[in-house]
Amino acid sequence: MRPELLRERLGPLLGPRLLAVEPFDGTAGRVRFAREGALDLFRAVRDDLGYRHLAMVGAVDWVDHREVFYVAWSDQERDYVFLSTDLPANDAHVESATPVWPAANWHEREAFEMVDVRFDHHPDLRHLLTPEEYAFHPLLRSFKLHEPEELEVKTRNV
Amino acid sequence: MWINMGPQHPMTHGLWNLRVRIEGEIIEEVDPEMGYLHRGIEKISEDRHYNEVITLMDRTCYVAGMSWEHLYIIAAEQALHLEPPERAQFIRTLADELQRIASHLMWYAAFVQDLGLMTPFLYGMRDRDLILDLFQSFTGARMTYEYNRAGGVRNDLPNGFTDRARKVMDWLDARFVEYDQLCLDSDIFHRRCDGLGVLSARDCIDWGVTGPMLRSAGIKRDLRKDRPYAAYDRVEFDVAVADGADVTARYLVRMEEMRQAVRIVRQTLDWLDKHPGPVLAERLPRWLGAPYAPVGREGYLLKRNYPTGRGFSSVEEPHGEAQAYVVNTGGEHPYRVKFRSPVFVNIAAAQKYLPGYRVADIPPIMGSVDVCVGEVDR
Repeated sequence: MRPELLRERLGPLLGPRLLAVEPFDGTAGRVRFAREGALDLFRAVRDDLGYRHLAMVGAVDWVDHREVFYVAWSDQERDYVFLSTDLPANDAHVESATPVWPAANWHEREAFEMVDVRFDHHPDLRHLLTPEEYAFHPLLRSFKLHEPEELEVKTRNV
Repeated sequence: MWINMGPQHPMTHGLWNLRVRIEGEIIEEVDPEMGYLHRGIEKISEDRHYNEVITLMDRTCYVAGMSWEHLYIIAAEQALHLEPPERAQFIRTLADELQRIASHLMWYAAFVQDLGLMTPFLYGMRDRDLILDLFQSFTGARMTYEYNRAGGVRNDLPNGFTDRARKVMDWLDARFVEYDQLCLDSDIFHRRCDGLGVLSARDCIDWGVTGPMLRSAGIKRDLRKDRPYAAYDRVEFDVAVADGADVTARYLVRMEEMRQAVRIVRQTLDWLDKHPGPVLAERLPRWLGAPYAPVGREGYLLKRNYPTGRGFSSVEEPHGEAQAYVVNTGGEHPYRVKFRSPVFVNIAAAQKYLPGYRVADIPPIMGSVDVCVGEVDR
């Protein structure tokens, strides 16, 4: 599916919440959207365009803002689509994709602990790879390597 | 009652903790705890030269290092606007398939040991060593190869490699028959595997499950066919599919994949025999970091025009579909590297395919997932 076709199909559904559709090699296109349209876009991409298989969710820290991206695969198109949204760094939250793609669960937990993005209405937003008490977000640019941090880890009572 | 299976447990194959809530013998709920092997590979990559990240890729999944190198290097080449020569593409295809056989043999050995079958374990490890010998002859290492480079591969195959590889492939073809005899003809195998860990095709897609687990549910999907990379569009092979979506079906898919991998290896060897040529693109910038030797000081002193770009790649790794996303904002280091591990997703779906079975069924079911914790935690 070409970027123009993506814009044609998604434009009427999202209106101004669809910011741009750019070509991106290796995928059908890079869809940039405003976070208010997150769930509508996910549903449209999954049900109308047929991208039923969520491959990954990740986040990039651009210091002044944070970018959350989603990659989904369609068996009919045999192609990926790349969705991305920009969030302000001091208020980084976006609607969780778990109601549309259950696969987003762990990816969002990882983005939450690593890049400090909150996913609203996520069923289980706990840390995944770091301990629950870990107060740092390692994949933020402000987190420098080679500076040891004090950390007290408690074991969980079972 | 909650019980912890892990972090030290014979079932886990790596360091992770499967917390299960049981009612009598029946599993009610599962909560995998990951992160014991988290090394921050995505963070460390931000301080490394593009070629130096390859070292980390070998450690991401220590039984499928070559596939992960390949995954990263496709995304990095796209972000850096580099094109590898044709011969390098075929060598990568060959190395990927050898890695697939080695990884599946490792899985076979570990999986049957979970079932209590000791003999196949020894056979699997023995034959995997033959593949590692091949790797050693052209990369110099048995597990951590550091063989791919942005713009190609490090060195060409040594003299006589193709003949040696063909002999190993002939040997393996005969062994696959023995493996099946040892397992499929065994009553114990069927009693412990048939009808366990069923994950339907619909659940597979909803939960993002890929690889042999998806194909065992009857969905014919393989990135090597659907979205060919390297030289996969120029070799012939069939996608291994099975019905049943249970542990036995996953066994059948992986066994068939090994046979198909042997087929692909033979075709790439024939091509490589006939088409000598360069294996690394010419005029690579020094700041990529060590095509042959560490970067000298002059690499930092000259002003240069760095390219910018984003790279996205997706390969069919032995465990499933892996993705990489590389952001290059201009400079000697990647700005951000993100990896998607297939096992990460396949374990996340455990809450769909474990509940309802018995505690004693956990080792065969989790064994059939082919867990490699290195790539889950990264």
